[in-house]
Amino acid sequence: MADDDLPLVEAAKAGDGPAFRALVVRYQRKVYAVALGIVKDHDLAWDVAQEAFVRVHRSLPGFKGESAFSTWLFRITTHLSIDAVRKERQAQKEDMDEVREADLGDAADGILATALGNDPGENALRRELAGKMEAALATLPEKHRTILVLREIEGLSYEELAERLGIHKGTVMSRLFHARKKMQAALREYAGLEARDGAALTEGEEP
Amino acid sequence: MKACQRFAPMIGSRQGELHPADALALAAHVSTCPGCQAFAADVAASSALFAEALLRRASARDFAPFVDQVMARTGLSPQAAPPRAADPVTGWFRLRWRTLLALAVPVVAAAALFMYVRAERGDDPPEQDLASLELSTEGGIGAVLPTQDGPVILLQPDDDESGS
Amino acid sequence: MFRRSLTRALLACVALAAFAPTLAAADTPVHVRVIKGSRKGPAKMDPKLDSLKRQLSPLAYVQWEQASEESKTLVKGKTDYVLLPDGDQVALTVMEEAPTKVTFEVVLVSRKTQSKLTLEKGQRLVHQVTGEKDGSAFFLTVIAWPDKT
Repeated sequence: MADDDLPLVEAAKAGDGPAFRALVVRYQRKVYAVALGIVKDHDLAWDVAQEAFVRVHRSLPGFKGESAFSTWLFRITTHLSIDAVRKERQAQKEDMDEVREADLGDAADGILATALGNDPGENALRRELAGKMEAALATLPEKHRTILVLREIEGLSYEELAERLGIHKGTVMSRLFHARKKMQAALREYAGLEARDGAALTEGEEP
Repeated sequence: MKACQRFAPMIGSRQGELHPADALALAAHVSTCPGCQAFAADVAASSALFAEALLRRASARDFAPFVDQVMARTGLSPQAAPPRAADPVTGWFRLRWRTLLALAVPVVAAAALFMYVRAERGDDPPEQDLASLELSTEGGIGAVLPTQDGPVILLQPDDDESGS
Repeated sequence: MFRRSLTRALLACVALAAFAPTLAAADTPVHVRVIKGSRKGPAKMDPKLDSLKRQLSPLAYVQWEQASEESKTLVKGKTDYVLLPDGDQVALTVMEEAPTKVTFEVVLVSRKTQSKLTLEKGQRLVHQVTGEKDGSAFFLTVIAWPDKT
């Protein structure tokens, strides 16, 4: 457990209201960000995030510290978020996880990196893309949104993703591959960064 | 292409996530495959953006009512859970208009004190860019004093304070 | 052609290397002080607080002394805590960081007070963090990139 969470968690377990409040303040935005990435809707993400803390509070007496408090909190958040969009999941035709030859060799690969450049600082396109990221994410199927959120915001490893999602490590990697391809395509579309005539960029052409 | 089918899903892995032999084979493949190089470059570029974008969205939202609503829902707060406003911003103000009204009095008083003190000392009010300030609070802030060197935030007086 | 391929190859190496930022985290060095202001007694300023003289001058507190100070590095989005002399804590978070600006969030957990402020480089935030008791109150001061100002 993160050193600075431990005293607050122990106090909250003992019924200390301010200690639990401090934990909520500490994690509220990140929990909301995780929920938002999966459920897409801001108000729903707000409710899911609150419910996650309510569930945590309810289960605190039984929390033994075998995992970090934050890991436990985000696990609950993910489950609630996925439950909240369960109807969407059932309605969609399940995407294949396997990687086929047709999924490779996208002529537009590399355009994002070229456009963004190496300097993460003052970059107008970077800010624009960050603003469009949420909209691009919303176009993805729930399972791809979920795995991207768990990987990029919660920072889960392949092993942790496999355990959290109940899938094999190989499926984790291929699902991430598909999620990233779709996200990149959606971002390029929003930013108007398509390759011309479906052809790969060659030296000297403007993106 | 068959090699790409094997290696493309490995792109974006972190140190230690791949078997060492796979990691070596991946590096060797990417160094000679323009398509996988391009995909890897996009993964690197967009991964950093992803978390930044969602967390920026979370940062932009007014979280002042969040913790109180959680505390009310858990029964740790003496007041009942406030109704969830459809619009969090106007809902926040609707629920707290009495508090905001009470806030206005010390803000005016503190501003008057500030101007009194400055006038006494004969200083001209400094010209400066005010730091951008968002106040998201239940009324704990009493006054914001802009100074040349940065803002000074004062709390509302407590009821039981022994003042000067 | 070669330069573009080289650039992509270099970026690919970055992606393949130990690249695991979970957040677009930027490290912001800050200098934090906890200071005490008193309305009572003769006017006196702790010499350590000379650089704050002008900023504190509009306030009605006449005596200023430093309770603690530390330099630390804040990671964007990660909350750090500053301990106050009365045992309470202040939660401090860098919300945004750009070359010439920084946005801080200050939360006084026990008082249900939450402030978010964007400062220009070189500006210092002074934030009252305790109520006034016997004419005295504690303040938190935060300045980002202290060595560069």
